[in-house]
Amino acid sequence: MQREVHQMFARPLYMFASVGVMLLSTFFFLTLMRRGSAEKMPIAFVDLDQTSISRRLCHEMQATPSVDICLITSSYPEAREAMQQGHVYGIFVIPDGFYDDLVAFKRPKMDFYVTNAYTVGGNTAYKQMLTMVNLTSGAFQREVLRKKGLPDDVIMHRIQPLTIEGHMIANPWGNYSVYLVSTILPGILGLICIMLTIFAIGYELKMRTSREWLRTAGGNYTVAMIGKLIPYTIIYLVLGIGCHLILYRFAGFPVYGSHSRLLFGLLLFIMAMEAMGIFLIGCLPTLRDAISIGALYSMLGFSLSGFTYPVMNMLPPVQALSYLEPLRHYYLIYVNEALMCAPTINSLAPALSLCAFMLLSLAIAPRLHKALIYQNYPLK
Amino acid sequence: MLHFLNHIWLQLKETGWVFTIELKRIFRDPGVMVIFILATLAYPFLYKAIYWREQITDIPIAVVDLSRSQESREFLHRWNAAPDIKLAYTCASMGEAEQLLRDQKVHGIIYFPHDYAAQLADPLGQAHISLYCDMSSFLYMKGIYLSCNQVMLESMRNIQIDRYEQMGMDQEFAWALVQDAPYSETALFTPTGGYGSFLIPAVLVLILHQTLLFGICMLGGTAREENKQLFRIPGRRRGWSALRIVLGRAAAYFVIYYALAAILMIALPRLFNLPHIGAVGDLLRFIVPYLLATIFFSMCVSVFIRNRESGLVLLISSSLIFLFMAGISWPKEMIPEAWRYLSYAIPYTAGANGFIHISSMGASLWTTRMEYDTLWMLTGVYFILACCLLFIIGWLHERTEHQQSHAHN
Repeated sequence: MQREVHQMFARPLYMFASVGVMLLSTFFFLTLMRRGSAEKMPIAFVDLDQTSISRRLCHEMQATPSVDICLITSSYPEAREAMQQGHVYGIFVIPDGFYDDLVAFKRPKMDFYVTNAYTVGGNTAYKQMLTMVNLTSGAFQREVLRKKGLPDDVIMHRIQPLTIEGHMIANPWGNYSVYLVSTILPGILGLICIMLTIFAIGYELKMRTSREWLRTAGGNYTVAMIGKLIPYTIIYLVLGIGCHLILYRFAGFPVYGSHSRLLFGLLLFIMAMEAMGIFLIGCLPTLRDAISIGALYSMLGFSLSGFTYPVMNMLPPVQALSYLEPLRHYYLIYVNEALMCAPTINSLAPALSLCAFMLLSLAIAPRLHKALIYQNYPLK
Repeated sequence: MLHFLNHIWLQLKETGWVFTIELKRIFRDPGVMVIFILATLAYPFLYKAIYWREQITDIPIAVVDLSRSQESREFLHRWNAAPDIKLAYTCASMGEAEQLLRDQKVHGIIYFPHDYAAQLADPLGQAHISLYCDMSSFLYMKGIYLSCNQVMLESMRNIQIDRYEQMGMDQEFAWALVQDAPYSETALFTPTGGYGSFLIPAVLVLILHQTLLFGICMLGGTAREENKQLFRIPGRRRGWSALRIVLGRAAAYFVIYYALAAILMIALPRLFNLPHIGAVGDLLRFIVPYLLATIFFSMCVSVFIRNRESGLVLLISSSLIFLFMAGISWPKEMIPEAWRYLSYAIPYTAGANGFIHISSMGASLWTTRMEYDTLWMLTGVYFILACCLLFIIGWLHERTEHQQSHAHN
């Protein structure tokens, strides 16, 4: 272990790849999504009518928090080109003769277009434009009813006889950052764990120093492995706790359940990722191969964990694959503990699955032990 | 004149020599081949498999219907017809439904209060529906909210028409009043609006970017380890030879990657049925500066990598950072200025946005000239930088060698 601590500090790579990368990522993602929900998404307003009512619509839309009319034009192709250049996410079209048709009850038609090539921007613009057309319709009904001499409160109930109250459980602000960063940052920590574990062990093989390493541990494989991993695990855990404090204390992300159980889940996740690292270098005791495979494997974890695109919607074989990623199980624990405040028993299955990854590293132990002794694998 | 031509010919020959050497190094290195060829070709298929279904369908919902009325049943019936959701459980109380949500058996709850039908029947009443959404994935919320909203608007119009008729309006007029300003909504460019057709194009471009970066760093690190001198042409003084080395090596990567990029950016969107309305000619031209900028960018980064493997260890997380910085999953308008300016320095930002504009949104090369020009600019900047860095390393190396030989003497 002492030897490892020495090595760890002797090579700047270790500290840089763990502490440096983690600090940078935390800083990056928290500042990136500082404002958690999309506001003021640019849209284009195509006014073919050019009357007081279309201008009023434009003003009212501009006053809403979600969209920002950055282009007012009377040419649809111009608006479309702005969309193709990524300047606007939506186009709102007021047809020619809108005002005249409206007062004549000819039911003029408003059109709006959104792009789905940029999902968040497109969605935000869509919701706002949808609200706007319904409000416009409501406003017109109100005017007509007022002319008929009805009082305002009666009118309101006529126009809006049915409402939906939305409740966003555990994230009432609809904060994008809460749901994204809470899984991405632990995921990056996991990436660091698996890559550095492969690197630390593989480097001994590559430099042909594995025998010396075993000798330091008195020839005992278990002691050698534990001695090697303890210093790293401590660093990862410190990073994990630091990240937890930043997210849930300073950034104010919600945890409705227990902090300690969530942290325990994180510890299990770190250990599972290390175990996967041992397993991979045990299967392929050549540093360069193991590290490439490790990278390919762990990057898939982000998609397969299902925090953006739900696992339940994936094809059944892919759903099965998702269980092979520790991040999936950590995500389930996170949802249970932080968001759902579910009983501990619900987190038990993912926690046990994470433990199963540790068994994998034991299964590969004899093979890795031999590789460390005989150094019988090619360097390249 | 002849002398000058001869000189040019010699330089070209040397560049060609570097090019051949680099190609040999790539093809003889299985690790690099795994990254360059296997990862580049296998990853798109994996991602397509993960995001196979474009739409989120059948999100399970729990129903708590305290009104037990014809009206609430009608509403549910209509909502259940939407593909996005399915009414999986009917609960007697909110407590029961919350339990289902906690166990993740459902991802949303709809609640009708006791007085739902009574409020609707009352000409002055206003009825409320409560909708609870699981926020563990934003796509649940999107599916549940939008589909329920649609049903709500539809039901509301019917109720409005009924009420206006009760007021004594004739049906025609009531209908015209409720539908006074109808609208039509169109999703441009990607009609399915699916998650895959939004994310996979961005991922395809990222795969090209990152495999180039990792592969070039790997080759650079290996050369460092084996103490091969990438910065020198034998028998040549350093100086302008850096130019030929950078060009020769870049040509080797470019040849391989042009074919790969054509597969990923042109063939796969067609095979995967992703949006592909761009002109092939425009795409073929767009790929050129994207690859060149990425190659020179990677060569600049690789100078700082000392080991074969350390590049991958250090840079693996950059994939996520680049993806988010480019303003595709998180809108660029919401990204802090500093990050946004920094993102322009990464070829991926212009590459991904330009590719999406052309391929997914049918823009012409002229329309997307901002990204196209940015990429050419980056190509120039990183090319000069790569030459300078190589020159500096060569100089440092010569100095240490010089010192060592002095020490020996």
